Amino acid sequence: MNEQELHEAVSRLPKSIEPPRDLWPDISARINVRQWRRWYWVPLAAAAVFVVVMIGRSIKPTAWDVTALAGRPLIGTQRLTASGRLRVGDWLQTDDSSRALVAVGRIGQVEVQPDTRVQLVVARADEHRLALAHGTIAAKVDAVPRLFFVETPAGTAIDLGCAYTLATDSIGKGVLHVTAGEVEFQTGLRSARVPLGALIQIRPTTGPGIPYVEDAPAPFVRALIAFDFEQRGTRARAIRTVLALARAQDALSLWHVLQRVDPAMRGLVYDRLAALVPPPPGVTRRGAIALHSRDLEGYWTTIRRIHFRIMVLRGVRDIDPRTGRAR
Amino acid sequence: MPPPDDLVARAQAGDQTAFRDLYRQHAGRVYALCLRLTGDARDADERTQDVFVRLWDKLGSFRGESAFSSWLHRLAVNVVLNERRTTGRRERRVTLAEDPDTVVGAQHAAPLHLNIDLERAIADLPDGAREVFVLYDIEGYGHGDIAQLVGIAEGTSKAQLFRARRLLREKLER
Repeated sequence: MNEQELHEAVSRLPKSIEPPRDLWPDISARINVRQWRRWYWVPLAAAAVFVVVMIGRSIKPTAWDVTALAGRPLIGTQRLTASGRLRVGDWLQTDDSSRALVAVGRIGQVEVQPDTRVQLVVARADEHRLALAHGTIAAKVDAVPRLFFVETPAGTAIDLGCAYTLATDSIGKGVLHVTAGEVEFQTGLRSARVPLGALIQIRPTTGPGIPYVEDAPAPFVRALIAFDFEQRGTRARAIRTVLALARAQDALSLWHVLQRVDPAMRGLVYDRLAALVPPPPGVTRRGAIALHSRDLEGYWTTIRRIHFRIMVLRGVRDIDPRTGRAR
Repeated sequence: MPPPDDLVARAQAGDQTAFRDLYRQHAGRVYALCLRLTGDARDADERTQDVFVRLWDKLGSFRGESAFSSWLHRLAVNVVLNERRTTGRRERRVTLAEDPDTVVGAQHAAPLHLNIDLERAIADLPDGAREVFVLYDIEGYGHGDIAQLVGIAEGTSKAQLFRARRLLREKLER
């Protein structure tokens, strides 16, 4: 392995790793003990109650309510007539004429579309997790980020406070379309951040493609898909097409492309991105090309802010996609 | 979801629910940093808790002069490095490679061999080399910052980085 390959491998490491267990109960307990030392015994009672409630909420296994919206979906081997409960480990299956609505604990809901199979994997206050074996779901979640997860054969959709539609076949080929908030789609080797009004294509083994906005021109989308999922020679041609066709509205795509192209191409991608949406103060060309997280995160904050303004104010104000300001 | 600034302000006012939400937002980044700096899953668990307990104490001093995530990141680096300086202990060697999910997060489902090999190799580095490598190559700090944070000369930081990269390349070639 040479220096360049090492650098490439390092740049692909995930920036975020969820702790293998929930640390909040321990942290909460320690904070409350410290407060007790300061304020004597009165806060102790409150802290003890708080910790007990938190631990109780975090470890208590629950089931989720399910309502049949059409036809008679199956929970396990039982036909659902009107409503029922989905317990951890249970499978919910719809046929071509049935649909169901699943309450995601107290934080949201998932509409299970026809010909879909989902399993409830974890149902805790601090983690809500479904497995989507195949089919389509439409999720709406109103909670802090990273409480709701949907596993698919190709990777995991992580809710960052959002609404989205996720479709997959049984080997992991699918599409994620975000309609509110933001979703992160992760595999071990790749991740993609998908804000509202954007989509990603998903493929088995390679995982999430580059996100693109709903109104991206078809040739641009075709080039992105070729870049993501086709052979190396095709990818080089595709990236030139992507750069040529990109608009300021496509900055979120180029931000992802920057991190996936060969290192020799990063300068070209950065320059095109910077020409479309100028980087914020503090973000340097050198840092971004080296994929330093501070530069990438700083740039993403700007791109995301502009994108959200465009989407939220669509039809109300004409927003300059280069700056996010009203024209 | 409340905006991050709102969460910070509420947590500064003593709202533990807001503080819990801050924890949920930032736990992954902090845990990843602790895991890589310590090279040990159990240490990372403890240090992540330390960081958030320290954050609760220090939150009042956050004035919004930088992004909250950057400020927290710096705090986390200080907590981990101070702990090592204070205790000087490194008896436990790497346990994280025994459980791939510990390394990459339980939500990851795709083939992970490359990441796991690299994470394991980073964890196996000598302490000084690993700290400089993680801070420079993964977290994007400069040698000047690293020298200040770790308490070494800039030249030492560069030498440790060179050594870390050489050791990693050798290890990953085997």
